[in-house]
Amino acid sequence: METLSFAFPAGLPASRRAQVGCVGSGDLEVLLEPGQAGSLNIQVVTSVNGSAERWRHLFERMFAGANPPALNVDIHDFGATPGVVRLRLEQALEEVSDV
Amino acid sequence: MPAIDFQPHAHDLLWGMSAAQLDAGAPDWAREVLAAAQPVVVRRGPAPAGQVAVGVRGRGREQRYASCMPLAAISRRVAPEQLTEAGAGQDAWPALRALAWLAPQLDALALSWGVTGGAGYQLATGVAVLHANSDLDLLLRAPQPLERTVAAELLALLDRALCRVDLQVETPAGAIALREWAGPAPQVLLKTNHGPLLVGDPWQEVAA
Repeated sequence: METLSFAFPAGLPASRRAQVGCVGSGDLEVLLEPGQAGSLNIQVVTSVNGSAERWRHLFERMFAGANPPALNVDIHDFGATPGVVRLRLEQALEEVSDV
Repeated sequence: MPAIDFQPHAHDLLWGMSAAQLDAGAPDWAREVLAAAQPVVVRRGPAPAGQVAVGVRGRGREQRYASCMPLAAISRRVAPEQLTEAGAGQDAWPALRALAWLAPQLDALALSWGVTGGAGYQLATGVAVLHANSDLDLLLRAPQPLERTVAAELLALLDRALCRVDLQVETPAGAIALREWAGPAPQVLLKTNHGPLLVGDPWQEVAA
């Protein structure tokens, strides 16, 4: 078990919260809540040790320079592949985005 | 070598892969597992013609290594459905006691089901991979759509077991988590041979 934290510049706070995903092998649970304007904070609790670099690369590809909404993101990971992580994050971001 | 007249399915255990069939970059522990004649686990994923995508399982969650196995090398195959007899005494790990409790109730569903993950591996090989906090991983074959209300009832049953139970529903298109299908999400994660997808209907064939 490992807890990792990441922060990225962001825009205005998201307007609602969202919870997607599922507790279970190869999957993850993602909870998004509106954050402080300007910052995207991500906390990952993962069952896979030594994966900090992998998460950082994934978040950088998704969020660096993308002006994401300001959010507090809580992730509980149960060994999801990067493809699953990305899909779940996109699913969650779609739910908090203004329609 | 016996002729292989079947396509292995995800979660099947296959014997017969040798350490020499791993690629050069494979870790030492993976070579040791195969040198000890332990099976590999079929995983969902593309493989070259005549091969099947597999994973080598070592100790702990970090020791998983993805590879491909030639179909011609398969000497024995055990499917999850063959691993439903826990034979668990009162002193067995919670995952096996949960299996023994659930088995008659799952048999009553009239759908094929089986044991995967650590419990399946231990039942098939005798290698002690379970511990006090191990989950029980199960698979249910659902060739026809499973109503979400039925999924919710089944989940309520699993959640009364002695340990955490993860059940994957195998549809003709891939696999979904029962826990997610039983909930309110309009789109659920479908694991296919071509990667994960979010879909509204996991029984609808998806274009490759």
